[in-house]
Amino acid sequence: MLTRCIHAEKQKLRHTLILPACILIPIIPAVMGTFNYMQNLEILKSQWYSLWTQHTLFYASFFFAPLIGLYCSYIWRLEHRYNNWNKIMTAPVPVSDLFFGKLVWILLITLMTQLWTGILYLISGKLAGLPGIFPPEIVIWILRGTLGAVPICCLQLFLSMKIRSFSIPVGIGLIGSVLGVLFNNEGIGIFWPYSLMLLGMNSNGTKDTVLKDFFPFLISVTAFSVFFCLTAIWNLKHQDVKA
Amino acid sequence: MTEFLSPQVRAEHQKVKHTKALLVPLGFLGFYFLWTMWQISSMKPDEFRTGYTMLFYQLPVMNAILLPLMISVTASRICDMEVKGDTLKLLYTVQKPGSFFDCKYLNGFRYLVFFTFGQGLLILFFGSIKKFGGFRAGDFFLYLLTVLTVSAVILIIQQTLSLLSENQLFPLGIGIAGSFLGLFSMFFPAPVARFVLWGYYAVFSTVGMDWNKDTRIIHYYEIPFPTRKFILFLAFGIFIFLLCRIVFTKKEV
Repeated sequence: MLTRCIHAEKQKLRHTLILPACILIPIIPAVMGTFNYMQNLEILKSQWYSLWTQHTLFYASFFFAPLIGLYCSYIWRLEHRYNNWNKIMTAPVPVSDLFFGKLVWILLITLMTQLWTGILYLISGKLAGLPGIFPPEIVIWILRGTLGAVPICCLQLFLSMKIRSFSIPVGIGLIGSVLGVLFNNEGIGIFWPYSLMLLGMNSNGTKDTVLKDFFPFLISVTAFSVFFCLTAIWNLKHQDVKA
Repeated sequence: MTEFLSPQVRAEHQKVKHTKALLVPLGFLGFYFLWTMWQISSMKPDEFRTGYTMLFYQLPVMNAILLPLMISVTASRICDMEVKGDTLKLLYTVQKPGSFFDCKYLNGFRYLVFFTFGQGLLILFFGSIKKFGGFRAGDFFLYLLTVLTVSAVILIIQQTLSLLSENQLFPLGIGIAGSFLGLFSMFFPAPVARFVLWGYYAVFSTVGMDWNKDTRIIHYYEIPFPTRKFILFLAFGIFIFLLCRIVFTKKEV
């Protein structure tokens, strides 16, 4: 049943604006970050690492969660229209599969966004005249950032499921992100879901701060993800829909 | 209270009733409250004497990050009912498209007024309880005026995009991109930054900052308000409003 739900979501996403958004929006921090790096070469001396901070600091701190919020609102958009909630809730599939079918696509799109960010980073580095290829740990940071993004995906998917407005969850994503920066600055980022992606990407420094605390990071990612998924499924099972 | 307004404006008021659209600026004000508290908690007592100056320097940066998205969310929230319900054709039998656009804009604008007023109260609240120094009424007034003006111009664009797009993904994507551009434009040279509309929150700031690398002392200094630039910006805003109004009214429904 889950496979069928995933396939159904794939059909719903065909010819939509999600892919252009996923491609175009990360280009902005890449172009701006590179420009900023080129302007401040006398201060930013760690080459590929410095470029990484310029590319990802604002992207991971402020804009990633709203972007995920945008994807999630889009993926629930059809259900919130007309009387489609009635139709989807009477479909002969478990509600958990409905939720996970969407989550799989959100995670895939997130992974694509992250990989695209990595490719843009490589292209920008070469255009900026950096030698060789970027350090291998950057790949780990990108993947770990994707892992840190999983709770954000689960939470935003839940919010977009509950809130009928397309835009409100995106705004919540931005506020959550900015609060995430504050939590991170206080050293308690691990207790706030929106900080985990920032931590995983290591976007505010050239030294890997998560490496020694990877286990708590992993526990936090798992706990938040499971909690948000269970809450969403419980909600689908026990709360009546507003069609 | 709304009986004194024209029927069209009153209709817009009624449309947003129970949509909880006010929660958007209220939520952002709540965030500014937390953020200011956090800023103050990390300040040393001797820094309180330049507290207002610090706020007038830092708030435009936060505004450039947060307000473009807040405006796009608000515009999308108040415009999506006609788009979702596909009611424009029916609506145009009783109201002119231009009047509809104006009333919608007025409706969105009052949320901006609410937000700006709320931000002003927050500044005064924290300033009075922490006994901040460096208050200049002129700076305070100019700060509020520029926040409202820049937001009003961004609202024109967001409202037009929200009304023209059947899918709200596009206007919200522009909102996110605007936040990005606004933030990055602060690091650009001035001739480049002037082309980024979302960065004007910082362009009109009347406070500059100088950080001494050796002594690690921050020094805030006054910048004369760019009156000529502001008048040009107002003219640009009027032009954008008329242009967007024409584009919207020409739209086939």
